Amino acid sequence: VFPGVRQAQWLTKTKLVEGLPPAVQGIVDNPALGLQELEERAKHVVSHARLWDTAEAAPRRETYCPVLFENLIHICRSMSGKYPSLSKRMLARNCRIAATWERESILLQVRGLSGILMNSMTPIPPVASKEEILATKEHVLETFYPIAPTIDLQEVNVYKELNDTGQCFRDGYPYSHPHTLFFLESANVRTDRFRPEQLRAKMLMFAFGNALAKAKALHGNDPKVLEQPVVVQSIGTDGQLFQFMVFQLNTTDLVSNDGIKNLVWIDSDQNLYERAQCVPEVKKRVVTKPAGISGFQPDTFKKFLALYLHGTV
Amino acid sequence: MASLRVRRLLGPSRRWFSETVPGAPSPPASPLYPPVVASITAKSKAAKSRRLQRFNQRVHAAATVEEKLRLYGKLQRPKYTVYPQTFALNADRWYRSFTRTVLVPGMPPRAAAAKRSVAAAGATPEAGRAPEPGVEAPAAAEAPGPAKTPEPAAGAAPYVDIGDLRSLACDALLQESFYQKKKRPFLYRDQDHTPGPFLTQLVSTLAASLSGRNPLLAASSLDLNPEVNYYWHHGEEVVLHGHRKGRVDPVRFQIDDNPHLQIRVPKQLPEVVPLESDLGDVPVIDHKPSKLPLFKKQYENKVFIGSKVADPCCYGHTQFHLLPDKLKRERFIRERLEDQIEVVYRSNGIASLFAWTAAQAMYQGFWSEADVTRPFVSQAVVTDGKYFAFFCYQLNTLALTAETIKNNPRKNICWGTDSKPLYDVVEDGNVKGFNDEVLLQLVLFLLNRPKEL
Repeated sequence: VFPGVRQAQWLTKTKLVEGLPPAVQGIVDNPALGLQELEERAKHVVSHARLWDTAEAAPRRETYCPVLFENLIHICRSMSGKYPSLSKRMLARNCRIAATWERESILLQVRGLSGILMNSMTPIPPVASKEEILATKEHVLETFYPIAPTIDLQEVNVYKELNDTGQCFRDGYPYSHPHTLFFLESANVRTDRFRPEQLRAKMLMFAFGNALAKAKALHGNDPKVLEQPVVVQSIGTDGQLFQFMVFQLNTTDLVSNDGIKNLVWIDSDQNLYERAQCVPEVKKRVVTKPAGISGFQPDTFKKFLALYLHGTV
Repeated sequence: MASLRVRRLLGPSRRWFSETVPGAPSPPASPLYPPVVASITAKSKAAKSRRLQRFNQRVHAAATVEEKLRLYGKLQRPKYTVYPQTFALNADRWYRSFTRTVLVPGMPPRAAAAKRSVAAAGATPEAGRAPEPGVEAPAAAEAPGPAKTPEPAAGAAPYVDIGDLRSLACDALLQESFYQKKKRPFLYRDQDHTPGPFLTQLVSTLAASLSGRNPLLAASSLDLNPEVNYYWHHGEEVVLHGHRKGRVDPVRFQIDDNPHLQIRVPKQLPEVVPLESDLGDVPVIDHKPSKLPLFKKQYENKVFIGSKVADPCCYGHTQFHLLPDKLKRERFIRERLEDQIEVVYRSNGIASLFAWTAAQAMYQGFWSEADVTRPFVSQAVVTDGKYFAFFCYQLNTLALTAETIKNNPRKNICWGTDSKPLYDVVEDGNVKGFNDEVLLQLVLFLLNRPKEL
């Protein structure tokens, strides 16, 4: 009903900031990282996923979306030759996430398969400064009066509040800090896929769930303002459009509406390329659209890589 | 009328001398009559060979590789489907005869020299726990024998820390089998539950961390669950029933393979032995392939390495195969077929690698009438999650059809090891009995690259 992110913001007591945080933007703009040479590889990788991967004429979205993601992660991972601390990361697929919290006397729970999760041994340092965190006190959360904020949410009887299983790993797991969540909208039929707005809301909810579970594991179940905010990133894509998100959990005190709020930076609707033509389109014996990838945007790939490198560079 | 034509050809300048003038130039060089050749459409052996020649010329003259592949596999007829992962008894002997492959046990000698240098580099920090790359390189160069000094000196320069890689491998194993909470495995899908994800994690993290040492890996392309297909003719048989009964047909084979993981690179791996080397004998089997058992089916003749011809990464580096639940070791031991366990690994290695290297060669324009001018080398690792077997294949010839194989002295060569366990057991967050040799062999495979890089 409402743009999903606004509802998710109220539910998770979060303030939205447009664009990527300065720390990540700094990695994007840093010329020492050599992101230029990787552009050529990124273009090849997009062509491989969209054009060359199958023996049929054109791959379908169910195939090309995961293949594109795997190829991009492969490029990012090969940077660990340059930055050895990147090898302290591990991808986990099919993670189940569960987290509960109270919001103005409504008990909310996030559950489900949260896509692909990348864990790291070291946490991401907080992205916002102390002043920014304190400034969120004045921020007023947008309410949807007279519509209840829990509209469109499923009401279930929860018999067990699952919190410590929020992370789907046992104790002693060396890669204990969730780093980035990846969401791939790879359904072939458009109605089965999430719209960009809904995808962003889903990303926000799952990033919040992961961060909350980690915070409760680190600092206990009492609601309080966190000394060390927990940062979790999130990237969602449908094979062409990318949504980037950095979420910082500042407080687990979610019952009241005032006080310190959490922060989220969202960079939405970034196209990696304009169109991928498998067979050249010919109208009246003239080639109108040549075969290949057109309109490749290297900035989107740079942001992807920057979010991957964030925390170790 | 021959005489009329002759007089007309001599033209207006006819001087019909009674005696021939010495030194006069002979009639024009081009023949007067078109060549006398067999018919194209007749039902005769000469006509059939002429049709074959015309087909070969069409394929030779094809402008692009895609056109060549299209013409090569245009005619569809029933063919034997060869499965690389098979429970058939002694399948590796049959597959070696189909693909004209010589099996050499153990790994090629080039890998052994590099192995010593990497092992020397890796062993000393294990004892001292004080890694210093500058100190290790000269120490490793002295360790191997003087006869092979230039090789290890080049191999010892990239310092490989086996301890780091071992911890990566153990982390991947522990995550998949112990730390991550998963639901119970689906019935008969045990391999998808733990060994599959473990193999993916292991290879991707190892390849990423070794990409600093091996620039070929940095430019590589990693495919998950790709498709590899190859179609070829080998030998001849007589058609038994149907409207084509009695005709002599080539025996057609098709391999449709799905490796778990494969690495493709833009530059070719170097040859292991020269093109014309003879390292053994190819088994000759007098029975029909259907005795293996192998069954015929007619469908599209595909030749595919994992991506289309336009991809710059058109050469293969390493494939990783995961054996399915049907072929697990316990089943063979239960049925008292222990010697067939190794056969499973070998047949998988030979068939998959032959299909991959031959498809790579076809992507470069070679085919059975235009044999390869340089050998194509690829590697494979066949595993069931715990036991690993390593294979290296060199394709020397594509000419396996009945006519081209007559004067073909070349044979394809496959080096292969037996399967060895990577670890003994995983208990309580610890990996017990980790085998460094297997990891070392895997690392050497990933570090393989052309000499100039």
